[in-house]
Amino acid sequence: MAVVLLPGLLASEAGGRKRFEIEAATVGEALRGLPVADLVLDERGEVRPLVHLYLDGERARDLDAPVEATSRILIVAAIAGG
Amino acid sequence: MGVLLVVGTRKGLFLIRGDDERRSFEVEGPLLPGWSINHATVDPRDGALYACANSWVYGGTVQRSTDLGKTWQRSEGLGLPEDSELKLASTWHLEPGHASEPGTLWLGGEPAVLFRSDDSGESWQVNDGVLGHETRDKWNPGAGGLITHSITLDPDDAKRLWIGISAAGVFRTEDAGESWQAANQGTEACFFPEDPFPPVGQCVHKVLAHPGKPGRLWQQNHCGVYRSDDGGASWERLDTNGLPSAFGFAIALDPSDPDTAFVIPEESAENRVTCDGRLGIYRTTDAGASWDLIVAAEPAWAAVLREGMSFDDEAVYAGTQSGHVYVLRHDEVVEAARHLPPVLSIEASALA
Repeated sequence: MAVVLLPGLLASEAGGRKRFEIEAATVGEALRGLPVADLVLDERGEVRPLVHLYLDGERARDLDAPVEATSRILIVAAIAGG
Repeated sequence: MGVLLVVGTRKGLFLIRGDDERRSFEVEGPLLPGWSINHATVDPRDGALYACANSWVYGGTVQRSTDLGKTWQRSEGLGLPEDSELKLASTWHLEPGHASEPGTLWLGGEPAVLFRSDDSGESWQVNDGVLGHETRDKWNPGAGGLITHSITLDPDDAKRLWIGISAAGVFRTEDAGESWQAANQGTEACFFPEDPFPPVGQCVHKVLAHPGKPGRLWQQNHCGVYRSDDGGASWERLDTNGLPSAFGFAIALDPSDPDTAFVIPEESAENRVTCDGRLGIYRTTDAGASWDLIVAAEPAWAAVLREGMSFDDEAVYAGTQSGHVYVLRHDEVVEAARHLPPVLSIEASALA
């Protein structure tokens, strides 16, 4: 199962959990399986502009990118705000 | 009875509890750390606490708590339909519905959208009358975006309410949101010198319906302070009766006196700081024919945003972008909190 790692604010919204193991074939499937999917993805199911994804250490932009059983998806909040 | 001030800030939500005399205050928070709270309020019908919680990363949400902030539930499925070609950018104002409609809530957001919930925020339906309004192409964003920031109800008629959109103006419905009519006659769009009184496009900053006198509305606009006695069909300009500036954001009323209102003028649209080096609350008790000044702090170069004032039967409350909260009661000003993050909103409710 793919591992998805959440930053602090998302983890708070997910009941305090930072790590989720999700059965998924693609990055999008893994994200849609999160209890905070609506915060990562907008109402069209697209990744919010300031949410950055890393799949096994590489920047991932394609929600259809395949994931392996050993994959790690890291969610990072982009540098922004004030 | 004491007061519970629900204070939304740029960095979380604070609850300030005040005693019967509004002299002693206790601050709790921040709740919802990491979220920018454009507005938060307690539903007087059931005591639920709602927050328009926004993140520049994770978008706009509504959070609901039935235990005054100990635990929260986030509304899911909040968004705009695909055929609108719009996406929800942020949530701005949540207004509990009429007393006769328990569970009904109204929500304003960006880009100039209105939602209704009939299940206490579990699900939301976008208002098609606002989303597809025939004048939408004439609406333009202000500094805060193209936002529905004011939602104010008729005290008697659940089907009649008004919304304020910057910069589109005031709109009225008399059929619970099925249709919306522009209600801007007499309010100036001073930033359009070639057509200063258009049907829509005004930059209303805050509009409030008096809770005890149906049809009486007050608004602080980018270009003046106005009162309407006919449900927004026409407006009378009031800032020229003694206010130091036409510009400001917040406005507060007195539930027991429809002729009383409070504003906090700012120098100008280009210099958004309170006038004359002090935080001055200007009060009228004669429906805007004259204004008197109550100095809350001096010297001060403060700013109070559109949701930054509230009121109850006892007092008026104001929160500044410098993180101070002031209480005006019986001509006396008391500081209720200081050094909060920038205050975005205040709502006063009865302390149980």
